[in-house]
Amino acid sequence: MRLGPTHVLPFALLLAIGLAACASVLGIRPTSPSHPFEHRAHVLKGISCVECHTGVQTAGEGGPLHLPTDATCIGCHQKPHDDRSCLGCHSEPYVRQAVELARTNLRFTHSQHTLAANGDCVRCHVEVTEARPDAPLPKMATCFGCHEHRDQWTLRDCDGCHVDLAGSGMAEGILPDDHVVHDGDWIREHGARAASERDLCATCHSERQCASCHGEGTVPALPARLAFDEVRLPGLHRAGFAARHADEAHADPGLCTTCHTESSCVDCHTRLAVAPGTTTRSPHPAGWLTTNGGEHGTQARIDPVSCAGCHGGAGEQLCVGCHRVGGPGGNPHGPGFSSRKDEHHDLPCRSCHGVGS
Amino acid sequence: MTPCAHADPLRLRGDAVAASQGTSSPTGLIVLQGEDARKPWVEAEGLVWAGGGSSFTGDVLVLTVRFREPHGYGELRAGRFVLATGAVRPVQIDGAYAIGRAPWGSSVEAFGGLPVVPRFATRSYDWVAGGRVAQKIRLGIALGLSYVQRREYGDIAGEEIGADVAAAPLSWCDLAAFASYDLLNPGIAEARASAAARSGAFRFELFASQQSPGRLLPATSLFSVLGDLPSETLGATVRWRAAPRLEVLASGAGQDVAGGAGGNGWLRGTLKLNEQGDADLGLELRRVAVPGAEWTGARATAMLPLGKGFRYSSEVEIVVPDYPDGRGVAWPWGLSALAWRSRDGWEVGAAVEASSSPLHRYETDALARVSRALDVR
Repeated sequence: MRLGPTHVLPFALLLAIGLAACASVLGIRPTSPSHPFEHRAHVLKGISCVECHTGVQTAGEGGPLHLPTDATCIGCHQKPHDDRSCLGCHSEPYVRQAVELARTNLRFTHSQHTLAANGDCVRCHVEVTEARPDAPLPKMATCFGCHEHRDQWTLRDCDGCHVDLAGSGMAEGILPDDHVVHDGDWIREHGARAASERDLCATCHSERQCASCHGEGTVPALPARLAFDEVRLPGLHRAGFAARHADEAHADPGLCTTCHTESSCVDCHTRLAVAPGTTTRSPHPAGWLTTNGGEHGTQARIDPVSCAGCHGGAGEQLCVGCHRVGGPGGNPHGPGFSSRKDEHHDLPCRSCHGVGS
Repeated sequence: MTPCAHADPLRLRGDAVAASQGTSSPTGLIVLQGEDARKPWVEAEGLVWAGGGSSFTGDVLVLTVRFREPHGYGELRAGRFVLATGAVRPVQIDGAYAIGRAPWGSSVEAFGGLPVVPRFATRSYDWVAGGRVAQKIRLGIALGLSYVQRREYGDIAGEEIGADVAAAPLSWCDLAAFASYDLLNPGIAEARASAAARSGAFRFELFASQQSPGRLLPATSLFSVLGDLPSETLGATVRWRAAPRLEVLASGAGQDVAGGAGGNGWLRGTLKLNEQGDADLGLELRRVAVPGAEWTGARATAMLPLGKGFRYSSEVEIVVPDYPDGRGVAWPWGLSALAWRSRDGWEVGAAVEASSSPLHRYETDALARVSRALDVR
């Protein structure tokens, strides 16, 4: 069958509808009826910023927000094209939210800046014509263009401009643009990033945010457990982690010790009645312990943390029974093992090597 | 009229969570943060939880007082908190931490305390102490050297020195790394590095790590004497903002786990369904292939606002192990949740969770949460 225009047209129409739908869903074509205020058009007409943002040039830290109202528009546009609110369509609601957040969380006085900038608002509001939620406000990099604040950055002294960054739970909701932005696989990455600048993290994050994951007994505060309905929260323990936790630990030996101590395993297993003494089922596969040794030695070297999870503390006697000096289990030390400990007096050496061994 | 900027002196948040299968259910958490309005250099923070169930239990997770020199030259924290700095691994302690900073970029940190024993358990004689010196130099480079010593039952349980570096030489690239060296059983205990570059819609990160589980255990543990079989990882992550509302993350890594080669990788896509970003769909595929741990997983999430403060969210996951070994051929898991948030700080959520795991052939759980946040001025 040969395809003619009658066949191609429906397909083209379907394709166009599909692409248009995708454009909306993907955000390529915004669906919102409102759109950013036409700042550029007004500036090109020679209208200065303060004609609409009346009084902003003398504004202090408090007072009105100096955002125009419909009455401001009607001052010039005396014949509006319909009777709806001008700013309902000719502005974005997020602009007011962003300005309100800035007023609440930033110490800033326009009157000090308009003079220094010779009334050139765009010198700071460089992206005011862009259609993005953060566009109306100058970026921190813009502030740093004049105010170096190098000492304040070094001393983590943010209070000059930001109000209670840590206490407000990052109420500003504005992530920095530079290297401290939390991007990519941040859960894995944050350890390396925070190592050198832990106190920088503390300028925004409170102690409880660290303690929610790190430390002993923090399970009730885990974000994945507490905010179970926030399904987009990242985290290592999301979804069916309990089912796969043994495999996760095996795939990255030692990772669990970043937050857990070796007693964490036995604490949880005892609560769930899957620890030795609470169940007759052995967690070890066949061939784990044989007369020739079996698999347990190899696996213990790969992931000693897992062994210590159940057999640590008093449970170590199970190992010492065979692996003590002169015992049938032989030397458990791996190739190249060395230690600065006193083998007769320090733990754990004395368990097998005790005085007289 | 919007008032001028000011801090809220007192913040209180309470959460109560109940789970039908929880061992400490219902559980309550209280967070209290305070700052003196007239002396903003003093802050206090507390996070406590208590749980019911078969026996009443609870714990203090955070209880700190923080004093800051008004210009940032120094800071002192005391109480219960998570200590982490430089190459010193995070440890929750009852103790103190102090840092002194100089305008030319030098800083000195010192800390000491007793590692936390959960649930008010009795403490044996043990402590952790150490410090770090750091210097910032040009091009956003920060260098640090750290030392930590841990004691357990009177015996030395760990002694490490560490080095860390962070640099942001250009606006589009940055790197960070740290390494800790075990002085008791000489060798690298842990090393991590990350280097990232950004360009337009893309961010590319290279990462590497080495960790020696035998050295990460306390040196008082019998299992620390087995020798050094470190696991090493080298990988990359790419983030692509494919469209204004579509973000794609992909990561892959090669691993050497105690001499056995393997790897893992995942692909995650998140599509926001509206411009406010409060509705989205997510899909994640994951493959882990390390000798002894080989499985494939898929996870999907959805979050949809229903209006009037209500929100529906759902999450499903299925994991298929390559070698079930009697643990079940697949481990499905699913959750459906409905939550409501008021304008004055109330939050209520309820969910049903169902799963099949190596432990339970079939398990269902009902979850509920009530939260309230208060700012007292």
